[in-house]
Amino acid sequence: MPQVIVDGQTVELEDHERLNGIEVARRVGVEIPHYCWHPGLSVVASCRMCLVETGTRHPQTGEIQILPKLVPACQTPARDGTVFITNSEKVKHSRALVEEALLWNHPVDCPICDKAGECQLQDYYFEHGQPQRRADIRPFTSRRRDVGPTVTLFVDRCVMCSRCVRFCREVAGTSELMVVQRGSHEEIDVFPGYPLANKLAGNVVDLCPVGALGDKDFLYRQRVWFLRRHEGVCAGCATGCSLWIEENQQRIWRLKPRTNPHVNKWWICDDGRYSYHHVHREDRLLGVRRRVPEGSKLVEWNAAVEAIPAELAGAQRLAGVFSPHLTVEEAWLLATLLRRQNPQAKLFLGPVPRSGQDEKFPGGFTIRAEKCPNRLGVEAVLWHFMGCLCTWEELLEELATAAGNGTSAYDAVLVAGGYIQPWMDEGAAARFAHVPLLVVQDLFPSPLAEAATWLLPAAAFAERDGSYVNAQYRLQSFCWAVRPPVGVWSQGQLYWRMLGRSGLFDARAALREAARDVSALSAAIGDIPPLGIDLRTNLLAAT
Amino acid sequence: MSPELVVALVKIGLLIFGLMTGAAYLVLLERWIAAWVQDRKGPNRVGIPLSRIRLFGLGQPLADGLKFIFKEEYTPRHVDRLLFTLAPLSILVAALAAFAVIPFGSVLPASATPEGMRGPIELVVAPGVDVGLLYVFALSSVAVYGVILGGWASNNKYSFLGALRSSAQLVAYELPLGAALVAVVLATGSLRLDQIIAQQAASGVWNVLVQPLGFVVFVTASFAESARLPFDLPECEQELVGGYHTEYSGVRLLMFLVAEFLHMVMAAVLIVVLYLGGWHFWGLTGSTNEVGWGTALVRVLVLGGKTLMVIVFLFMLARWSWPRFRFDQLMALAWKVMLPLGLTNLVAVAAVVEWGGIRAGKPSLAAVLVLWGIGATGWLAAGWAAPSAADNRPRLEPS
Amino acid sequence: MKPNDPDIYWVEPPRLGLAEKLYLPLVVDGMRTTLRHLVSPKVTVSFPEERPRIDNPLIYRGVHRLNRDEQGRVKCVACFLCATACPAHCIDIVGAESPWPDREKYPESFTIDELRCIFCGMCEEACPVDAIELTSLFDLTGRSREEMIFDKEKLLSIYDMTKDAEPMRTAAQEAER
Repeated sequence: MPQVIVDGQTVELEDHERLNGIEVARRVGVEIPHYCWHPGLSVVASCRMCLVETGTRHPQTGEIQILPKLVPACQTPARDGTVFITNSEKVKHSRALVEEALLWNHPVDCPICDKAGECQLQDYYFEHGQPQRRADIRPFTSRRRDVGPTVTLFVDRCVMCSRCVRFCREVAGTSELMVVQRGSHEEIDVFPGYPLANKLAGNVVDLCPVGALGDKDFLYRQRVWFLRRHEGVCAGCATGCSLWIEENQQRIWRLKPRTNPHVNKWWICDDGRYSYHHVHREDRLLGVRRRVPEGSKLVEWNAAVEAIPAELAGAQRLAGVFSPHLTVEEAWLLATLLRRQNPQAKLFLGPVPRSGQDEKFPGGFTIRAEKCPNRLGVEAVLWHFMGCLCTWEELLEELATAAGNGTSAYDAVLVAGGYIQPWMDEGAAARFAHVPLLVVQDLFPSPLAEAATWLLPAAAFAERDGSYVNAQYRLQSFCWAVRPPVGVWSQGQLYWRMLGRSGLFDARAALREAARDVSALSAAIGDIPPLGIDLRTNLLAAT
Repeated sequence: MSPELVVALVKIGLLIFGLMTGAAYLVLLERWIAAWVQDRKGPNRVGIPLSRIRLFGLGQPLADGLKFIFKEEYTPRHVDRLLFTLAPLSILVAALAAFAVIPFGSVLPASATPEGMRGPIELVVAPGVDVGLLYVFALSSVAVYGVILGGWASNNKYSFLGALRSSAQLVAYELPLGAALVAVVLATGSLRLDQIIAQQAASGVWNVLVQPLGFVVFVTASFAESARLPFDLPECEQELVGGYHTEYSGVRLLMFLVAEFLHMVMAAVLIVVLYLGGWHFWGLTGSTNEVGWGTALVRVLVLGGKTLMVIVFLFMLARWSWPRFRFDQLMALAWKVMLPLGLTNLVAVAAVVEWGGIRAGKPSLAAVLVLWGIGATGWLAAGWAAPSAADNRPRLEPS
Repeated sequence: MKPNDPDIYWVEPPRLGLAEKLYLPLVVDGMRTTLRHLVSPKVTVSFPEERPRIDNPLIYRGVHRLNRDEQGRVKCVACFLCATACPAHCIDIVGAESPWPDREKYPESFTIDELRCIFCGMCEEACPVDAIELTSLFDLTGRSREEMIFDKEKLLSIYDMTKDAEPMRTAAQEAER
């Protein structure tokens, strides 16, 4: 087993592990400062911040030989007997000088820089820099340059780590960004007419260790130290990227990728990054509405919780539509509820939104065509109750056939929507015209919502507790980051109370129940780690 | 209606009106003095309502009183309702009733005596009470009940602590108070307050000159009895949030506060009557009951003036001059210093009276010198022994 | 807590001489202090008739103002440091891209809830561009809560009102130099 020594501490590596000095040092809690190195990108060793002393220990004699020059830890592979010294005076002095050089031409405009507070330059200067600035030059300008529709570049703040350039080449595969000029005139730029417009462009802002690259969507909106981050899962497509949802005062200000090697690595796509805007759209449905002859009236939630199950129980033929935007827990609770009200209730999978083809990027990132987060999870629940999968098209067919006879195929239909994009056209909505009792739950107004007997508002992805199963059969759990708007209960809370349970919706308990009954979800009976669990074998075996 | 009754009613009306107005303005005076001592200006805005006339703030007592009356009369749910109301009533009634035997002058001229009445009108509500002093101290002891009832009925730990402290303190200081008093009674040979004044007037020698030690003991004890700083432990705001009247508000709180103030006035009047010659002042008031209108009025003014001086210079200024005693120091002072000193004084006066040093209230020079000597020696001895300076801190365990 | 708790620090009382034990000098001493103060000059300011004298208005902590730069624009760069430093959370800023070519960021709106403010002056300390300052206006009154929430315009108008009597701190310091 290879042994590496970091500052006198011995690290044991697995035989197959190939780590560099920064990663090995992290194992024993030693942070080696670095700008240009990123685990998802190639190594250039250009920033010189991670310079350390290294050497080798002789396998037989145990004698240690240190190299006379400092070497970059990011480029030094850890082998058996490699020695890293990260805290010697020599190393500290080198770091201080690197910091000084980086700040030579840096416009210290931290007060108006969006990166302030999470800036590596600030942190490292605080930790490793010199107490005083020796240079008496103040060339501080802050030139700003648009490099793309979503990203802006503050040229003078750049420390030339070239992470963004490598990202565009290696991960996005589009190579828009490049380094122009030479020496101290080096700048990041794009070629005229080829702006940074790929679908992963937002990641360069996250990658930037300083405030050089700014996200126009977030620019000047909030200071980062006001934001609280919550673990979330993107609902934009079937990839289900792990997210940090960053919120202040019940408003989401930005989404950031949460590192998850099984799903999204370090990246998210721009579609997902800016998808949070729908949460705060003005036209969200609010409040429970019951249709009455002269229009509709607002109903208290507590009254609706009593009335809707009672009305559903009265229906001879009951159908439920489960959108793939529901979480596993919500689908489980709703299916349980419908089957309890009517054991013959027929459960359909709602329309699965798709657009275009899966987009694959060289870095291994995929944007799925299926624009919903949890088709597999909902399908697993429906399989358990129905033994088969009834699709939205089949429901429309049945309704159309019955409508031809002037009747309705079902006495009551409950549609649990929650779609982010418009999903219902007039034609499809017209098929529900003959349904006597139509309960619709959705985020935004739609033709179907207008036809509903009961109209229930839904909570958006960041407002709920629950779990999604992504296209790679990975189940990820998440908690709410912001509260639903006033007048909205989350779906989980609504179904929980409709089932006659008291108190607050407990997503963990609901998932455990579902895992106990649904064999496809049985692996989810324990605790769900932050990175999620793999249900592949379960799901494939069950369906 | 008999003329005695009319005269008594008039005197009662005068006394109560005078006491209440006097107490209200003494409160204003106290606030002024408090402000001046703290380099502030004090209440000086309230004058005649609905006008811009300020009168140096003389309208303040009226405003204070109205404020108390219109404040919410709140009774907490956890109190004993009957006792909660009874406590301020009892304390106020006792405080007022004690003034029945307190003279507020000497007598009116014989010409003012209405038909069918014997003798001149004496300026005291209940003239000729032979056990006047006993009556005063009996009633002032009732005040303890008011305090204890208030603290107990409030059902609040601060109130209860205040009441406990109060009962211990009042009981403890009644002994030196009594000892000092008995010495005066011994020297005078009477329990009647008018008699005590008359003897001092007749001899021209105030008791304070004869019994300095008794005077010191009496003043100290009366401070404690009226719960004034530096002995205000029953109601110290810093420790007890007001003590026994923490839970009170509105008129019932007003009753407590007025009663407390009356205790102070009573203490001041007693100091004046017993030790400072009452209405007598050399060369100004004469000393017999044969008076004209002028002399009668001067005697009332002298008595009132002396009382005011005692209140201002002893009670009000003392409040801002010395820090509050700790409770153990307070108790030590009562039992270890004041009681022995009071008894010393009593024995000394008894001996002097026995061997003829004081004849019909007139002391001989030798008697005065002896009593002053004993007083000084007693004070010195108390200071030397310093029994109240005992170290009452918990002992450290020998480790 | 036990008497021998190591956290208790027992203070020895001062040893008293005979004079102190007799109380007399202390009685006289206390009374003398009281009497001296009884007649000493009073410090009360009778406010509406008399205005208090503010020795140095530059360090007084009264109502806030937002300073203007040489061109009359708001000096604030919307860095939120005052809002961050504010212990009462009374400052609310909405930042935006500035409409001027030479400036990057500016406050689209800047409101201070003067009712919530505790006038600690931390905002003034935190400001990197000396844009927010506390003036010597102390008699701040209003008839409604809404009236006491000062917006950018009002804060700038306070600057216009007070700039002659109280120059900006940076300007004052430069003048001193």
